Parts: sequence; C-alpha cells; structure tokens
Amino acid sequence: MFFRMVRGTFVRQWKKLLMIALTVALGASIATAMLNVMLDVGDKINEELKTYGSNITVIPQSEAVMNKLYDVENGETQDEFLNEDKLGELLTIFWANNITDFAPETDAQVLLDGNEVKVVGSWFAHHFEYEKKGTTYTRDTGLINLRSWWDIKDGQWMDESASDSDRYAMVGCQLADKNNISAGDSITLKGSRGEEVLTVSGIYESGDDEDEYIYTTLSAAQRLTGTQGLLKKIEVSAITSPEDELAVKAARDPSLLSGDEYDLWYCTAYVSSICFQIQEAIPEASATAVRQIADSEGKILEKTELLMTLITVLSLIGAALGISNLVTSGVMERSIELTLLKAVGAKNGQVTFLVLTEVMATAVVGTAVGYLMGYVFAQIIGETVFNSAIEMNGMAAFIVAVLILFVTLLGSIPAIRLLLRLKPSEVLHGGH
Amino acid sequence: MNKKTLMFFRMVAASFIRRRSRMLIALFAVIIGATILSGLVMIYYDVPRQMSTQFRSYGANLILTPSEEESISSEELEKSISLIPENELEGYTPYRYENSKIHNMPVTFAGIDFESVTKTSPYWHISGEMPQNDGEALVGAKVAEKLGLKTGESVSAENSFEITPDTDISLIPEYEIFEDPETGEKHCDHSLDISITGILETGGSEEEYIYVTYKDVEYLSLTKRGYDIVEVSAAAMQDTLKSYTKRISDDVEGVSARLVKRVTASESTVLDKLQSLVFIVTAVVLVLTMICVATTMTAVITERRKEIGLRKSLGAYNSDIIVEFMCEGLFLGGAGGILGSVLGYVFAQLVSMNVFSTSITFRPLLIPITIAASVLVTGLACLIPIRSAVDVDPALVLKGE
Repeated sequence: MFFRMVRGTFVRQWKKLLMIALTVALGASIATAMLNVMLDVGDKINEELKTYGSNITVIPQSEAVMNKLYDVENGETQDEFLNEDKLGELLTIFWANNITDFAPETDAQVLLDGNEVKVVGSWFAHHFEYEKKGTTYTRDTGLINLRSWWDIKDGQWMDESASDSDRYAMVGCQLADKNNISAGDSITLKGSRGEEVLTVSGIYESGDDEDEYIYTTLSAAQRLTGTQGLLKKIEVSAITSPEDELAVKAARDPSLLSGDEYDLWYCTAYVSSICFQIQEAIPEASATAVRQIADSEGKILEKTELLMTLITVLSLIGAALGISNLVTSGVMERSIELTLLKAVGAKNGQVTFLVLTEVMATAVVGTAVGYLMGYVFAQIIGETVFNSAIEMNGMAAFIVAVLILFVTLLGSIPAIRLLLRLKPSEVLHGGH
Repeated sequence: MNKKTLMFFRMVAASFIRRRSRMLIALFAVIIGATILSGLVMIYYDVPRQMSTQFRSYGANLILTPSEEESISSEELEKSISLIPENELEGYTPYRYENSKIHNMPVTFAGIDFESVTKTSPYWHISGEMPQNDGEALVGAKVAEKLGLKTGESVSAENSFEITPDTDISLIPEYEIFEDPETGEKHCDHSLDISITGILETGGSEEEYIYVTYKDVEYLSLTKRGYDIVEVSAAAMQDTLKSYTKRISDDVEGVSARLVKRVTASESTVLDKLQSLVFIVTAVVLVLTMICVATTMTAVITERRKEIGLRKSLGAYNSDIIVEFMCEGLFLGGAGGILGSVLGYVFAQLVSMNVFSTSITFRPLLIPITIAASVLVTGLACLIPIRSAVDVDPALVLKGE
C-alpha cells in the first residue's frame, strides 16, 4: 500500500515533483561545478603562474667552497660545472611530475666585433629523453616556456628540431640595436676555445639584462668555451604548494624535523622539499628557490583559492536555501492531502515517512541530473578560462550528495511538522 | 481614490498578510538571487584591482635608467615619479652602485633606501635584521659565502683611487690624501667600516651585492652623484604601464623608462585568466540562481490556481487578475532586490576583508541594476504561470480537477 501511494504521487503529481527535482538539480549543478572548480583552481592558476619563469635554480654546489679553499688571484674564480649526463636525474625525484619545465644553461664571455658580450647556451624547444633502470623519462621543454614573456621583435624563435639548429642564435634587442644586427645576419663569436659563425634567427625583447645577451644552443656555447658536456646552471620550473609553517621550519634545516613532520614535508610539493630532492638526486648540485617567483606564487595562489572558496560558499548557501525553500513550499502545498491521510487514521510517523520518501526519491533523481549538469558547467568553465579540463573530484560528489540530503531534510521536516500540527477538520473544511 | 483601486490594494495587501508563509518563501528566493547577483558582480569588478596589488609581491615592474648622462638626479627622479598616479604607486627604490674591495676581493656596493626596498622587493628573505642606520649593511648570500661574512660581524671596505675634480674631498680628513711624487697625481686611501645586520637570500642576482645607505656609498666613492637605476612598483596593467614609460621617456630628459617584461607580461596573462574565471563563475551561478528564483515563483503562483478560478467565476477579467498578480510579483522583486543588494554588499565586503584585507569599492550603480534584475526575473517568472492559470475554466479548477 505504501509503495502504491508513493507511486501514485509520482504518477499523478509529477508536475509538482518535477519542479522540486528541477530546483534540486539546479542547486546540485551549482554546487558540483563550483566545488570542482574550487578544488582544481589551485593547480590551474599554478600552471598559469609558470609564465613567470623558473622558480628553482640549480647550480654546482662546490662553486662557493672551491673559491674559499683555493685562493684564486684577483678574485677571478675557477668555474665549476654540473655534469650534463646527470640532468635526467631531475626527472627521477618524487615530485618529478610537478616539474613542468627545465633548461640547462652554460654561459661565456665572448668577443663580438671586438666587444665583450655574454653568450648563454640553453634549450629552446627541446625533446629530452633519459633512460634509467629500464624506464624512459621524456620531457619537451626549453626557453620557449621558461621565457614566455620574450617579445620577438624580428625573425622568430629558434627551431631546435632543424638539423643545423646548432648554427643559430637569438640576440637581445639592446645588443642588436647597438651592433645593428637583424634577423638573418651572420655573427662571429670568438670564445676562449673556439670560434663560431652563427645565423641570427630572431631578436627578442625581455626588458631586463638579457636584452644585452646572445642565446644559442647548449652545444654551440659549450664549444666556444671548450666545456663540452658541462653545465653552469639548470633552471627548473615546478608546480609547488604555498609555504606554511612546516615549510618554513624545514627550510632552516630538514634534519630538525620529527619523523612524521619529515615525511609530510617530503611528500608535499613545497619548493624547499623539491629543492631538497633535486640535491639528493644530483649530489654535487645546490638547488635554491628563486624567492621572487616562489614567494609571489604562494601568495597569489593562496588569495585565489580563498577567493574561490568564499564564492563557492556563497553559491552553496544560495543553492541550499533555494532547494530547502522550494521543498518547504512543495510540502506545504499538500496540506489537504496530508491532513486527509490523518483524518482517515494515519499516524504522524507514517505521514512523515511517506512524504520524506517521496521528497527524497525526487531529490536523488534531481541530484543525479544536477551532478551531470554541474560536470558540464565545470568543463565549460575549464575550457573557456584555462583551455583544459577541470578534474572531477570524488570529494565534490560526496559533499554535493551530503549537502543535498541535508538541505532537503532541512526543507521538508519543518513543513511536515507544521502540517501535522494542523487540525484535519479545519483544513478539510477549507479554513486555514 | 476610487473604490476599485482601493479594493485592488486591499487584495494585494491581504494576499501578503494571509499568505505570509508562502510570500516569505518567494521573497526569500528573490533575496538569495539578488544577494548572489550584487555580491558576485561587485567582487568581479573589484578582483583586478585587488589582485593587482597582490601581484606587486613580484616586485618592480618598471625601471628607470639614465638615458644620456651617467646617472639620474633627484630632480629627474621626482619629476618621473610624479608622472605616475599616486594611488597606483606602490613604491620606488633608487639604486646607486659603487665598486670597492673587502679583504682584497672586489665587491659591488649598492646604496638603497632600506624602507622603500621592502615595497619594491617584498620577496627579499633576510636572515638577521634589515639595516636601519648608516654604517650598517645587508650582505647578499653569495657575497657572504664568498667572503665568509656573517651576521653581527664588522668589516671594512677599502677604496683607493685617484682624486679628480669630481671627488668630494670634504668628506674625508686631509691626512688620507697623498700626492704621487712622480706624476703629481693626488690619491687617497680610505675605508668604510660596516657592521653586518643581515644576510639577503633571494635565489637571484640580488645576492651578489652588499647593500648600504646612500650616505655610505657616497663616502665610499667620495663623489656626489645621482642614481644608476630606479626600481618602480606600480599597481597597473601592462598597457597603462606602457603609457607611463612613454610619458616618462618623453617628458623627462635624461631618463628612459622600461617595463620589466617578465613581470608585466606574465601578470597580465595571469590576471586575465583570473578575471575571466570570476566572470564565468559569476555568469554560471547567476543564470542558475535566476532559474531557481523563477521556479520558486512559478511554484508559488501555480498553487493559486483555485483562487484565480474563484475570482474569474465572480466576474473578474483576465487582465485584472494578471495586473494584480504581476503587482504582487513586482513588489516581491523590488523588496527582494533592495534587501539582496544590501546583503550582497555585506557579502562582497566580507570576502574582500578576508581575502585581501581591504574594503571593497562600493558601486552605487549596482543597486538599481540589482533591483531591476530582480523585478524583471520575478516578473517573467510570474507571467508564465499566471497566463496559463487565467486560461483555465473556473468550473474545472474549483471542482478540484
């Protein structure tokens, strides 16, 4: 009989229930979309912030020590290098997946038409492969990502896939102005160990010291100084978590942390733990955070996440109130029917159970539909803003389900209680 | 006031008083919608301004360099800075570099203002203290490592150079000056004692300098001159900054202004993304909320089919019913809009205080827009069910079918 009554409501009063289901679906879709966007916004903004360039630099550790140990004349220091073969070790660390870009660098002072200029050798758009213990690590990376702010004034980015890419260079705009260099020109660079004739593929504007530099491939720069297979620096761009108390504590000295704290720190993508892991992987290297980038990233991420959280909370409150509102009005509408049930002898508990079952069944359908709608909305937001899909979080689905259950109950129970207090005779007579 | 109008108002008023709970539900829905509308839109408009201030933690986004002469004088600096609106200017720090030696190793000293540098380089990590007075120095981590300098130590920087007409010999005692007997050139040897109050860590090239006050570099070099470079941090977007650089380069002789591309280009990319994120989120939430308001209104009106039927059977015209119901709807929309815009402002202010610790810009125009939008949405939401309700046959409705 109970099921017949419930079914009867669904068949006969489908319009009213549809309205409740629709509101629940709308509310659920807002909640789903906002929660998923909120939970993913950190990663997305972090990727956007990568346009600021690398946040970690890796340099040879012994540089400073060597200078102290061996008193070098006139302050001219003996250069220290990292081994190019070790580069791939970067991709074997715990947080390797968070390393979005990296580029090795070597630099040299060379003569260009008799004037001393700085040449930097690096990767432009490089396909990197590294094999270790049967696993192949690959990454497509280079300056094209790490210098996204470069404005190409003339010519184009260097094409590193071309077979003769070694014969090209890019020149900073101020240096190009001074020496009247334009794209397509040939320049002769005289280094300490060799001479290279390079074709200028493009002139860039960077707005800082780099406007005075020449950038070329790693091997061309290494040949100029006779340092084949050696690097002076690695720029690393990694997605990191904002710093907190633990990170600050660890930054002082990781060995001061307790066992649990150490594990937590090591397994969190703090800039300090990534630096630490890089040093573990390449023992002769010293990895330091570029404070300008690392600090600012943390701040902006924190603010964005907080902003999105508050907007999400507002939307959730709005959705929740909207749903419970309509459920209340939906239940109150049925005063005559419910009091009639009471008049023919139904107990309060039975009536409550009947109404709740109907409302809950409707809410479940509404939530399912709403979740799908929310998924679509989240993807629309992701595609329009970040050109990438928003990852759907299992936690969001759980929160939405609990939220809807809660607000539906919250919306129906007071209404049911109110109706149960009414006297059947009065209601059925027609007076409110 | 004739009887008909009086009756009309009595009916509207009565429907609010007698159907209090239903009306409250409808009003509540409108308030939620209006709150979300005014709150989110207010945040949307304020986000670029607020975020732009946050992005200043990346430091200077504009630099001034001398264009022809060797340095930028105080007058030129003042004139350049005055071209940037005061409310956008976060701070500026002039730098003056001088070479010297410590323990016979060459080091570069930079004269700065320690107070303003916290504005233009907020990312500086200092272990120890920021110097306050003359004679105190902040040492870059790389220099400190190279020379083995530590916080709390005192070192002296030695300078020996030829005295030229530019040299300000009034700064030093006469006994430090000596004449080369062969060439007749005047030389001087003098040193500056500094105590190290802190070590600077940035992970960048800033670690290669020793920072002291302007007075100390002046003493070190014995020359009075202007600044080599000025770092400016302004909370403005790339295009606005570009116009400032042009104005400064054109109007102030001897100064050329450049954008720090790394900061400005990246900032506009990220800010654009952020703003479009808030925009599309606002749009999606608004549309969904409006539909929610509309469904609630529809439910409230549909419920009253019996009343409509009764009125019609008593001889009311369709148009009378439509007007009365619309008036109720519009009243709800207006009241909800007013309350909602107040609550929305409170919400936006709450968000702004919590996230950015500054108050939100109040936009008076948003109040009429919110009210108009609520009235419009409620009006539209009422119209559809009323139209279908007035079409019914009173006999059928009253019979309960």
